[in-house]
Amino acid sequence: MALLEIRDLEKRFDGRSGHDAHWVIRGLSFTVKEGEFLTLIGPSGAGKTTLLNLIAQIDGASGGQVRFQSEIAPIGDPKALRPGLSCRIGYVTQEDNLLPWRTALENVLFPLEVQGRLDAEGRARADMLMRAAGLAGFEHHYPHELSGGMRKRAALIRTLVYDPPVILMDEPFGALDAQTRTQLQEDLLRLWNLGRKTILFVTHDIAEAIALGDRALVLSRAPTTIAGEHAITLPRPRDIRGIMTHPDFAALYQRIRAQLQ
Amino acid sequence: MNGSAPQEVSGRPPSGRLVATLRARADQITVLLVLVVAWQVLSVAFGTYWIGSPVGVLTRVMAGIASGDLLRHAGITLSEAVAGFLIGAVPAATLPFALRRYPVVSAILDPFMVGGYGAPKLALAPLFILWFGIGIASKIALVAITVFFIVYFSAQAGVRALDIKLVQMAQVVGANERHLARHIIFPGAVPYIFTGFRIALPYAIGGAVIAELISSNRGLGYLIQLGAMNFDTTGVFVALVATTCIVFLGNWSVNALERRLLRWRPPSDVRMQAGS
Repeated sequence: MALLEIRDLEKRFDGRSGHDAHWVIRGLSFTVKEGEFLTLIGPSGAGKTTLLNLIAQIDGASGGQVRFQSEIAPIGDPKALRPGLSCRIGYVTQEDNLLPWRTALENVLFPLEVQGRLDAEGRARADMLMRAAGLAGFEHHYPHELSGGMRKRAALIRTLVYDPPVILMDEPFGALDAQTRTQLQEDLLRLWNLGRKTILFVTHDIAEAIALGDRALVLSRAPTTIAGEHAITLPRPRDIRGIMTHPDFAALYQRIRAQLQ
Repeated sequence: MNGSAPQEVSGRPPSGRLVATLRARADQITVLLVLVVAWQVLSVAFGTYWIGSPVGVLTRVMAGIASGDLLRHAGITLSEAVAGFLIGAVPAATLPFALRRYPVVSAILDPFMVGGYGAPKLALAPLFILWFGIGIASKIALVAITVFFIVYFSAQAGVRALDIKLVQMAQVVGANERHLARHIIFPGAVPYIFTGFRIALPYAIGGAVIAELISSNRGLGYLIQLGAMNFDTTGVFVALVATTCIVFLGNWSVNALERRLLRWRPPSDVRMQAGS
């Protein structure tokens, strides 16, 4: 049984007068296996963030089903939603959403603190991740004192620190320059290799989707459905900087781009 | 490899900033001198009978401090203002947090709060004196009610300015309602509450003085009233100077407290707000 299953998912946002309802997602189905790195590629406005919000139970679906393990997300009752499903689904959002009144380290420790797991082991893990992400020496800086790339790293390890089995990532490196972005992609793959989590990684960048994923799903414009599916068989560990010269890369890139249009 | 380091936030090197601060202080002293000279000129032109001279005021302030008289009256006004401020500001700052969970109650209360905010509180002074007597209780009540509405609306703005994305982030990582209130909503509203404090502060001291003006036998408002009755403009100015000093002292305390609590804010923000 797949770890995560999306079936005939529907999401509708009602217009102001009620009759101009707007379908963002309609008839979307796919599954995610445990330990898989799945990338989702879609044009802007393809309802990518909405999809992740439904999976994380920040928002409720209008129809269809989201099943995680044996649990089915409630439909129609926003109060019954359980954001993060008891810390089993981590979510790295597009904006870093760091708490401005907490230092980098305090932000990273925040999940452990509210989960009541702030012990020596948790602190050691946070320390290790801060170092691995190149944030050593910046533990006591407030977010406004960090560069954009550092803020992204802090947001990423804030999720890694409590080790959720599934991590959703919403264009986490979208707003960064190419150099920092490549660096962060390498960091992410290295961290992923340490613990092989299940990752759903949303992006609009085809090269990023190929470089990171085991499998790539191409999403259509809204109302979103699956426009194509591609197994990415490039060997791991991958070299992000050299991957574009791999013989399979160009063909895959072309096929995905054709589906995006 | 991490790209640009973050230390550029201060804009200028510390020594440059110090020079700029000294420069601003020097300019402020110049303006103060100009005002004092203008005051002196006016008091000479109209006579000290109408406008007490700065020199005379300073002499009287010194004498008042030496005899302890001025300090005693200032102390009474200050304690009325502080007590009223606390009684008004503490519930005002906490109520919006409690009401956040009850939007219906909040919606019902809203027009009454707007009404209370808009009503001229000074007009209540005679009523409070009737109810609470001419002692300090009526002054404290007037200060409290004045401060309450100002701080209430500031705190409410802070609670409403909450970034829903931070709340969602916190919920996803396992925060419950108590965590949200303590770690997300409250820290986010603190800058707004301080803005309320800073606006309410002169009103607190002004409220105490005016309540004393109307009816009392001590405090700086009483000194003003006494001076006016005796055609002693110097006496009135002495009380006004003391009142202004108290406002400065209060403002300085709020700023110092704010700087401590809001270390996390970019310095430009803090300086813009605190530069009074």
